[in-house]
Amino acid sequence: MNANPYLPDMATIVEVIQETHNIKTFRVVLNNEQRMKDFTFRPGQVGQLSVFGVGESTFVINSSPTRKDYLQFSVMRVGEVTTRLHQLQPGDQIGVRAPLGNSFPLEDLKGKNIVFVGGGIGMAPLRTLFVYMLDNRKDFGDITLLYGARSPADLTYKAELPEWTSRKDVNVVLTIDNPAEGWEHKVGLIPNVLLEINPSPANTVAITCGPPIMIKFTLQALKKLGFADENIITTLEKRMKCGVGICGRCNIGTKYVCIDGPVFTYAQLKELPSEL
Amino acid sequence: MSQLDDLKSAIKDRLGELECVIGWEQGYDALHATPLFIRTEADLDRLVIGPLAVHNLATYLTAYKGKKIGVVVKGCDSRSVIELVNENLVNRDDIVVFGLCCDGVVSQPKIRAALPADPGFVESVTIGTDELKITVAGQTVTLKKSDVLADKCRVCQHPNAIIADVLIGTKQNPAGANSLACQEEFEAKSDAEKLAFWQETMSRCIRCYACRNACPMCVCRDYCIATSRDPLWLSQDNSPAENMMFQMVHVSHLAGRCTECGECERACPVDIPLMLLRRYMNKQVKDVFEHQAGTALDQTPPLFTFKVEEERIHERGW
Amino acid sequence: MERYITKQNLTRLAEDLAKTCRVLAPVSSCGSVTFRRFQPGMTMDLHSRMAAVSPKAATFPQTETLLVVKRDATEKKPELVETLPQGKSVVIGCRPCGARGKLIFNPVYETDKIKDPYFISRRDNTVFISLACDRPETTCFCHSVGSGPADTAGSDILLTLVGDGYVARSVTPAGDEIMKLALFEDAGDKGKEADAKNAEARELMGEAHDYTSAPAKLLARFDDMDFWQAQSAKCISCGACTYMCPTCYCFNITDDDLGLNSRRIRTWDNCMSHTFTLEGSGHNPRSTKAHRLKNRVGHKFSYYPDLHKGVIACCGCGRCIKQCPAGVDIRQIVNAAQEYSE
Repeated sequence: MNANPYLPDMATIVEVIQETHNIKTFRVVLNNEQRMKDFTFRPGQVGQLSVFGVGESTFVINSSPTRKDYLQFSVMRVGEVTTRLHQLQPGDQIGVRAPLGNSFPLEDLKGKNIVFVGGGIGMAPLRTLFVYMLDNRKDFGDITLLYGARSPADLTYKAELPEWTSRKDVNVVLTIDNPAEGWEHKVGLIPNVLLEINPSPANTVAITCGPPIMIKFTLQALKKLGFADENIITTLEKRMKCGVGICGRCNIGTKYVCIDGPVFTYAQLKELPSEL
Repeated sequence: MSQLDDLKSAIKDRLGELECVIGWEQGYDALHATPLFIRTEADLDRLVIGPLAVHNLATYLTAYKGKKIGVVVKGCDSRSVIELVNENLVNRDDIVVFGLCCDGVVSQPKIRAALPADPGFVESVTIGTDELKITVAGQTVTLKKSDVLADKCRVCQHPNAIIADVLIGTKQNPAGANSLACQEEFEAKSDAEKLAFWQETMSRCIRCYACRNACPMCVCRDYCIATSRDPLWLSQDNSPAENMMFQMVHVSHLAGRCTECGECERACPVDIPLMLLRRYMNKQVKDVFEHQAGTALDQTPPLFTFKVEEERIHERGW
Repeated sequence: MERYITKQNLTRLAEDLAKTCRVLAPVSSCGSVTFRRFQPGMTMDLHSRMAAVSPKAATFPQTETLLVVKRDATEKKPELVETLPQGKSVVIGCRPCGARGKLIFNPVYETDKIKDPYFISRRDNTVFISLACDRPETTCFCHSVGSGPADTAGSDILLTLVGDGYVARSVTPAGDEIMKLALFEDAGDKGKEADAKNAEARELMGEAHDYTSAPAKLLARFDDMDFWQAQSAKCISCGACTYMCPTCYCFNITDDDLGLNSRRIRTWDNCMSHTFTLEGSGHNPRSTKAHRLKNRVGHKFSYYPDLHKGVIACCGCGRCIKQCPAGVDIRQIVNAAQEYSE
C-alpha cells in the first residue's frame, strides 16, 4: 500500500483467462518493478482494482503468496466496473490497491486437517489458501477440497482441476447440481455431498465460501458433522469503497468487513449483530 | 365539536380496520408539528391539526401498498392522493381518506423572518383564528396568519379535500389570487439573470435529496437517476451545474404529475425556491394539455399517453 | 491568551485573512445561512441563526478530488496524479459544536496503520474561530454529549459576545498567532463578563441527559425490527440529517470520465441512502429505511463509542432534528431504546 491509502499502483494486465461465461481471471503485474518485487500479502487479503474513469471494486487476491510472478484476481461480471474489466486485454492498464483486509489465520491452521468447501466464484478466496497449502504441504494435515458449481461450465480454474484431482496428497471432490454428459465426478448440492464425504471434525478446520444460500446450508451441514463454531471459517462480501475502514458502509455493528474482515470464524460471526 | 374532535371521532370509528392512520402531532417544539402514525386510540390524544400541520402525508402512502391505511389530508394533499391513485401507485380501496377543509398552513421561513429572534428559541405558541402568538427568547409577538401563510395557500384553489371518505370542517373558499409576485418577478428576469440566480442558489444545494424524498410523486427514490452509475447522467461532484441538472431531471419527471404541494421547497434545508421551477412547469402543462394533476380521479397524466395530433402542439406549423 | 476584538475589527480580520487564506464564514442568502467562501465586501451573519449546514466542509469538503489520471492520446500508460489539498483555511463564526465535529473524524481518519492525507492536511491547515452560544435552541443538546455552549474542543479561538465585540480566548498556538494581530485589543476585565455569559448559557441548557447506557441498550434492540420500523415511520430516508451533521464522516468514491483524462472524487455519502450498502449481486444488507436509521443511530450512539473510548459520535448541534423534513428526533430514538423494557 502507498502512504496515501487511496492511491493505487499502476499495473499491467499480463493474462486474461475466460473461466465461465461471466467470470474472467486477470493476471496483473505492478508497473513499478521494485514495488512488485516487494509486494507481500497473506492468503485471504483483498485488493481494489481500478478502471480509471469507471471506478474501483474489491476482489480477493486469489494467487498464492508463494507464487509471485503476478497477482491474480477472478472477476464475475455483475456491474459497471466488472463489465469494463471484462473488456480489458493483456497490456491494458489498471490500478491496484492491495493488500487490504485481514487474512486466513495461517498460524492456527498449521498442523490441522483442512476441509475446503467452495461454491461458484466462492472458490476464488479458497484458491489462494489451497495453493499456498500445496506449496507448504508438510505444514498441514489431510486436505480435502469440495468444490461445486451449477454445471461443469460454471466451474472456475478448470485448467488447474485435472492437476488438483490427480494429486495424491489432497482429496479433491468436484460436484455439479444436475447430471451432465461426460461428467465423471459427483452430482448433488454441495451441503449434501459434504455430508456424504463425512469429514471428521477432529483436529479439522472447515473453510467455506460461496453464494449466501450455499453458505447457509453448508454451515448447517458442518454443524451436523460436529464442527465447532471456531473451527469454521468463511469470508464475507460487502459493498466497499475506501477499503481501509473509513468510508463507513461495510460495517456490521462495530466491525468493518474491509479491515476486521473479510475472514471471520463462524464463532466471530455469531458475536456480531445480524446484518449480513 | 371542534374540527379536531370531529376528526378524532372519525378516525376512532375506522381505526380498527386499518394498519394505521397517518396524522400529525406536536414536534420537537411548540412551533413544529411532525407526522404521527396512529395505531391505537391512545395515540389519538396526540393528534393535532392546524396551520403547523404542514407535511403532505400522502408521501408515505406508497410504502404501505397492499395494506389498508388511513391518511389525514388537506386540500392540497388530497391532490397527491388522487394522482397516486390515477397512476396506479396506490389502490383507492386500500386508503381511507380523512379530508380536511383547510384554511392554510404557515411558512416556517416567513415565521423566521417575522420573529425578533431565531425560532429555535421558541418558548410557546398560541394559535388563534387569524393569528399566532409566539414567545421567542423572552419576547412575545403576534403574527397575522395571513402574513406568514405558505405561498401555495395564497393561491390555493382546493382548500377542501377533493376526495375524502370523511370530510371534516367547514368548507373554505378558494383564494382570490391566482398568481404569486415571487413567481412573476422570477419569470420576468432575463435569461442571463435567471442563470445568475440559479448559479448562486444551486451553489447552496448539498444534494441531500430531501426535495426528492419529501415529494409524494417521486416514487423512484431508491432507484433514482441521481445516484445511478448505469445509466450515468450525473456526477456526484457537488457543483451548481450538476445540482441544477438534478433539479431539471426532477422537475421534468414531474411534468403533468406535480400536484404543487410544495413539499420539495419546504423540505429543502437550505431554502432553495424549487417551486419556481414546479409552478413554471405546471403552467406549461396546463397551457398545452389543459391538465392539472390530481384534481380529478380517472385523469390520465398527459405524458402517460399521446394523441397523434395534440391540439395545442403545432409540430407541423413550425 | 485573552484579548478583545470589536465586531468591526472581526470583519477586518476576515478581510485581511481572506488575502492569504480561504476564509469560510456564515453568510445569509435568501434567508438561508450557510458557510461561504468569504470575500471582502461580504457581510458575515454570525448572530441571526446557526448556519444550516455545519462547517465540516472546511476539513471534509463535499467533493474532494483524490486523484487525476492523465492520458496522452499517443501514450498507452496513463499518469496518476495525487491531488492533495493546498493552502490554509480559517473558519470564522462557527459554533463550538461545529468546530468540535471534526474531532470525531480523528480516530477514524488517522490511525496507527492508515492516515487519510486529505483530511489530515485540511485539519492541520485550518484554524477555527468559534463563537460561544448565548442560549440554547429547542434542538440543542451539546451538554448531553460531553460538550457545552462554550466548549473549546476543536476550536483555536473561542469568541464570546460582550458589548459590541467579542472576548477572544485562544486555545492553540495557531489561535495565539492570530490574536497577536493589532486588530485585537486588551480585554481589560471583560473576561469576567464573558465567563458570566458562558455560565448563563450553560445554565439555560438545564440538566444533561445521560447517554451512558445507550451503546448497550441500542445493541439490545438490534434485532427488534418492530422497534426500528416504529422509530423510522416518519423518516423519508433522505440525506439531510447526515449532510448537515458536523460528525457524519462517511463518503462515496466515484470516477468521472473526462475523455482522455479521468478523476476520482470522494463525495459526502449518507447511510440513509439505499445505494450506500447495495452490493453488486443486488443484495442489500440494509434494504429498508428502518435498517438504515438503525445503523445511523447505532453508529453514533453505540458502535462508535464502543470503538473509541465511549465518545459519542454526535456533537449535539441539533441540525439533524430541526432540518429534518419530517421532524425525526434522534434524541427521542435513543431515549426510546434506553427506556425500553422487555
